[in-house]
Amino acid sequence: MSAVAQTPRDFTYIKPRKRRLSEYEAVSCYTQPDPNVFDRQGWYLLTPEGRAAWRPESTRLQHPHWFDFRDPSGLWQRTYVKLQAEQERAIERTVDDAALAGIFGEFDPLWLNEIIGVHYRVWSFFEYALFRAFSRAQREALADTLGNALCFEAVDRIRHAQSTVLYLMELEAAIEGFKDHAAKEHWLNDASYQPLRRLAEALMAAEDWAELAFAVNLVIDPITTELGVSRMVRRHGPQHGDPITPTIILTTERDRRRNQAWTEEMVRMTTAAANPHADSNRAVIRSWCDRWRPEAIAAARGFAAVFDRIVPRTRSFDQELASACADQAAIVSALGVGAVGGQ
Amino acid sequence: MRNPIEAHNRVKDFDWEPSYVAKPNWYPTKYKIPAKTKDPFRHLVRDYLSMEEEKDNRQYGAMEDALSRGQASAKAEPRWMEIMKAVLPILNFGEYAAMKSTGQLIETIENAELRQGYLAQMLDEVRHTNQEAYLMRYFTKHAADPEGFAQGLKARGTNLFNRAGRAAFETFFVGDPIEGALNLQVVAETAYTNPIFVALTELSASNGDQVTPSVFLSIQSDESRHMANGYSTLAAVVSNPDNLPQLQIDFDRAFWRQHAFIDPFLGAVWDYFQANRSSSYIEKWREWIDADWVGSYIERLAPFGLKVPRDYSVASERVQWLGHTAAMVAFGAWPLQFWRFDPLTPADMDWFERKYPGWHGYYGKFWEEYGRRCDPRNGELSLALFPSLPPLCRVCQMPCVFPRPDISTCRIKEHAGKRHAFCSPACERFFDQEPHRYLGYTSFYELFEGYDLADYIIENGLLRADGKTLIAQPWLNLERMWTIDDIRAMRYEIRNPLRTE
Repeated sequence: MSAVAQTPRDFTYIKPRKRRLSEYEAVSCYTQPDPNVFDRQGWYLLTPEGRAAWRPESTRLQHPHWFDFRDPSGLWQRTYVKLQAEQERAIERTVDDAALAGIFGEFDPLWLNEIIGVHYRVWSFFEYALFRAFSRAQREALADTLGNALCFEAVDRIRHAQSTVLYLMELEAAIEGFKDHAAKEHWLNDASYQPLRRLAEALMAAEDWAELAFAVNLVIDPITTELGVSRMVRRHGPQHGDPITPTIILTTERDRRRNQAWTEEMVRMTTAAANPHADSNRAVIRSWCDRWRPEAIAAARGFAAVFDRIVPRTRSFDQELASACADQAAIVSALGVGAVGGQ
Repeated sequence: MRNPIEAHNRVKDFDWEPSYVAKPNWYPTKYKIPAKTKDPFRHLVRDYLSMEEEKDNRQYGAMEDALSRGQASAKAEPRWMEIMKAVLPILNFGEYAAMKSTGQLIETIENAELRQGYLAQMLDEVRHTNQEAYLMRYFTKHAADPEGFAQGLKARGTNLFNRAGRAAFETFFVGDPIEGALNLQVVAETAYTNPIFVALTELSASNGDQVTPSVFLSIQSDESRHMANGYSTLAAVVSNPDNLPQLQIDFDRAFWRQHAFIDPFLGAVWDYFQANRSSSYIEKWREWIDADWVGSYIERLAPFGLKVPRDYSVASERVQWLGHTAAMVAFGAWPLQFWRFDPLTPADMDWFERKYPGWHGYYGKFWEEYGRRCDPRNGELSLALFPSLPPLCRVCQMPCVFPRPDISTCRIKEHAGKRHAFCSPACERFFDQEPHRYLGYTSFYELFEGYDLADYIIENGLLRADGKTLIAQPWLNLERMWTIDDIRAMRYEIRNPLRTE
């Protein structure tokens, strides 16, 4: 039985990132067929329009072997679901406890009606748009490890959107006279949110899956979401009697850090010296930065009037925006794909 | 949640008509879908996450704990374990393709209720992809013979049957998203996941494999929701009479594309790899496909204008032979596969004759010859029992030998200066409707024509870790396994059966 006894008892066709094959790699790698290596016949079916299952031109970035990508979080379905189930349970428990402790009654009325009831609730529409955009992006990604990261991000976004809706329903139940009814109208027509809606629609129309990830995770989240959610809502909650919304936002920030990390990894991989397309990739990514940064800033600027309604506040809108933009510039500069900078 | 109905309504009120940037039409659909229908899912993401976490804990917990300690996989019937090497990689692609299909549906379908169902299915499909890869690795670690499990996703690429599975499951996401949903949710999931994930587990368990059922039954608990997605999608489509003519064409094609691969493959898996014998595939087919899927589902849609698939009666007639013919090709061409085969015993042959009257007359001679050719010392290759490797269907990639070699419906025709084979009138018809959809790949014979079988085996990584013994074997005998030298000595050349000169 020597021919059997010699067999290594693991998948030998996957090159592990570290010394040993991780569980994440074992259950993710090559679940998408790889026409350059194992699946040499290519795709057996084309669409009526003549498209194959996957197309290298689905992104302007080029890489000789996209399958080398590894999500630094190492999440696969089981660990991802566990993480998000825990986050949702934490939210549910916090909200329940807050209701029992009467904390919602301590919310400053302007904070409740304008910042939570409108501004924060409007954000759920933006998240929903991203859910749809990332669902399509996962369909197109050129390797399983990228498709899974995009898919998890799609689910992050729908989780955020739904979580917000459920939270406001709890507020309705706990606070007499509070109604979650106005946000859609603000999303559709309020001048403060039209640049954000324009951005959402542009992202839903962005064809390139890598561009979507870059734009959202390395440009828009660090500027627009950072300003509109973290700095406006999370930071000012406690001063307005609201320690609860910040804890919900913290779960979305955990997701944001993960999404930033995998996108940074994608940028590093495509611009690494070993990649013969590194220079052109860098130029493409810079062009993405040039395209999305002004839109991200414009969307953030839309909130200026809303921001000014928050009293007391620690810093001015312009200070906050400048600081978020500087942080974002540092992220892309560290990757060697920074834009010109400034606002 | 204080008011779940209100919560469900509110989480579906996110849609708006874009006014700044028009939404591109990336996945064109011929169908008109009403903006509002029933929600097939009725779960919030929060509920879904907690439900799936619980199921994962139960399934992975069992695998990590009791089943490993009991060395369940090492004790299972080797005949059964071998075919799991072929089943898992292709099933895995089906799940992965389904994940892509649901991404397309979320993007395309302007109906928040349906999208709610698709979103959970998208993550379910990642779940199943991961579960099945996990199971393959589990068997790599614990099965008596890990070769084949260890290379499954790699070997899938060029394997005769796994390639055909690829072709069948690409229909889930390459084309009109609704046509994808018909292939995936209405046919593959509603008709075929019961035999695969429910009935097949009885067979696993009775053959000593306790691990597969723990995974498959957990998968099936998601599939019932996907069937609901299929039903809701179909209900939405038939609600607009303008959709009906196209729906019937796409539904006819979806049924045949799934049938053409799944029935021969699953039939062979079912009937030829059980050691402790119970039911036959044909019995399960009559129960799950005929009575359940057609009788209790599709036929009841007649008042809404949807008919039973055009070629259903042909399929029903030929299904009694498909698995036997597929098994004959798989066993005969064993050196091209990545699992081991266990020749039929006289008791097996009696069972076949009992379950499929007339079987012996058509297939008995092959099995007697095959048995003689298992020992390399006899110097005969079972492949030589066939006049050549079979032509492969341009559309479904299956060998053109069905339903039975003596009554094969293989047809060959020229298109744009090249000869193409089709396994059936249905596949030929699909080609005639849209030939360009099936001409985007390099064929097996274009890649490997003229290869000596030994070189094919080496190039496709079909050797064991010792570098000389084949992964595939025609018998389970571990004392005298076939080596590359045995194959080389046979001087078997891969010839293109369509070549005329």
